[in-house]
Amino acid sequence: MATAEIDVPREGLPTLADANRDISRPISTPYGRYWILLGICGALIAAAGVAWTIQIRDGMGVAGINNPVNWGVYIVTFVFWVGIAHSGTLISAVLYLVRSGWRTTINRTAEAMTIFAVMTAGLFPLIHLGRVWYFYYLVPYPSTRLLWPNFRSPLVWDMFAIGTYFTISLVFWYLGLIPDLAVLRDRFTGIKKRLYGAFSLGWQGTVRDWSHYRRLYLYLAGIATPLVLSVHSVVSWDFAMGIVPGWHSTIFAPYFVAGAIFSGIAMVITITIPLRWAFGLEKYVTTYHFDNMAKLLLLTSLIVGYAYGMEYFLAWFSADPIEQESFRWRATGFYAGPFWIMVFCNVVVPMSLWFKRTRNSLKALFVISVLVNIGMWYERFVIIVTSLAHEYDPSAWQVYTPSLTELTIMVGSFAWFFFWFLLFAKTLPTISIAEVKEHLAHEHEHGNGH
Amino acid sequence: MSGILAQFETLGATRQAIERLRAEGHSELDVFSPIPAPELEEALGIVASPVGRWALIGGATGFLTAVALTGLTALAYPLVTQGKPILSWPAYFIIMFEMTILFTGLFGFLGVLHHTRRPGRLSAHYRPTFSVDRFGVFVRAAAGSDQRDVEALLRSTGAVEVEVSA
Repeated sequence: MATAEIDVPREGLPTLADANRDISRPISTPYGRYWILLGICGALIAAAGVAWTIQIRDGMGVAGINNPVNWGVYIVTFVFWVGIAHSGTLISAVLYLVRSGWRTTINRTAEAMTIFAVMTAGLFPLIHLGRVWYFYYLVPYPSTRLLWPNFRSPLVWDMFAIGTYFTISLVFWYLGLIPDLAVLRDRFTGIKKRLYGAFSLGWQGTVRDWSHYRRLYLYLAGIATPLVLSVHSVVSWDFAMGIVPGWHSTIFAPYFVAGAIFSGIAMVITITIPLRWAFGLEKYVTTYHFDNMAKLLLLTSLIVGYAYGMEYFLAWFSADPIEQESFRWRATGFYAGPFWIMVFCNVVVPMSLWFKRTRNSLKALFVISVLVNIGMWYERFVIIVTSLAHEYDPSAWQVYTPSLTELTIMVGSFAWFFFWFLLFAKTLPTISIAEVKEHLAHEHEHGNGH
Repeated sequence: MSGILAQFETLGATRQAIERLRAEGHSELDVFSPIPAPELEEALGIVASPVGRWALIGGATGFLTAVALTGLTALAYPLVTQGKPILSWPAYFIIMFEMTILFTGLFGFLGVLHHTRRPGRLSAHYRPTFSVDRFGVFVRAAAGSDQRDVEALLRSTGAVEVEVSA
């Protein structure tokens, strides 16, 4: 790491006590705007709740989905949120394994994002069910009829993959939080002390405790890395296993994984910029971190752009007229708008990140990251809807437009995600205190620390 | 328990104190650290944590559970779907992979709880400064000359605070 790139002067390096104080400050500081934001999220969640209740009462007819387009905004938004969930583990596990020190100040936020995004994604298969009260049919349990789930079905794989991903991400996140919860226990008094103390499990940080802790952290990083690749691969097989033109492709797993990481990084940037400003964490999350995230965004944008091109190449190379027609219609037919929004946001806009000036401008980065989020939602829309709307039999072609119910629930899902995130930002340290202190301790002791 | 608790401000001083204490025959040390410190583990002679074994056993358990779950349920209700064999191992492998990882992580976490004896009460020698920026070393030493020697050693290695408990 080149010291010159860190915009904290060495004399101004925070002490270990500073890190404790600065990072836990938002927890004890009241913010008026916080409650307004929380209220807005709550209202939008309530609206989505009403929409879902109407759908349960009146049936799936209130959604815009039809035959043949029987997967619409719900599944699009499901895939979108599963994608958002990916960067958390990427940043905390993969960058940990390759010893990328810059992950330290953003991994907690990214991991929290992962958990809340999976919690949001997990709602959509339920919302998409016509009879939601039968959701437990997916769970393998000994029923009186001895009927078990079909383990050859990608939907059952999906449940196992996402269930595992949620659980392991939660363990990973919680393990990282334990020493920080002990910090909060020692800072506060009264009920807060008791609550943080209970969740810290009585952590006291003996060197022996740390040795067990570090070992498990390494192992979790090691197993989370293949896990993160498997989860979005399995989600992609929900599509690729079907013989729908535009879906039935062997590139789907890596294509979806790259897209997931791309959208996840974009969401980390979208969230970290306002968070850093609101909580005054400029000393810890610096342009150095944003520069690195922007480079990752650029790299994954190139992979995603390559995959878009390769899909078209494969359609042409297959010499299959139906596959070719599906892709021709995707770019020029009824859904040309969403298609070109996708290309513009995901391939054209991120190219500005080749320039250091763009990477170091937080305003530009924020706008780019929001555009990428929009583009990635449209990518899933394009893949799912255009393929179903234009299958083999021209007499069965039909277009789909989302209904108000679907859009309300989609907006509500964003509110649900941010609601949890806001609760997290106000009750737990948004930066890993222990890891920041580890880094600072070495900087203080060995000069530049490397 | 009679002994001496010393607080240090830097990793280097703590490491030196541990090394000198161990050289003088004090092997029973409780060392507290605000940060993960491989240097101190090394100084204390801590070998690799056995948590890895928990993870391995967990992974094997998860894998075998998934083999049983997919294989036995398919045999219990042998219905051909999608024209595939009753025992479609390539498809079932995805379940095995996910369950291996799930159980590895959960068993590993149980391992950490077991070996750190958490959840539990804080040690009597724990001080709130140990979660801020201080390193703590507790040495068991009987009152008398032994205690005075240890105290002198700790002060000479840079302890900023020394508490003697009778």
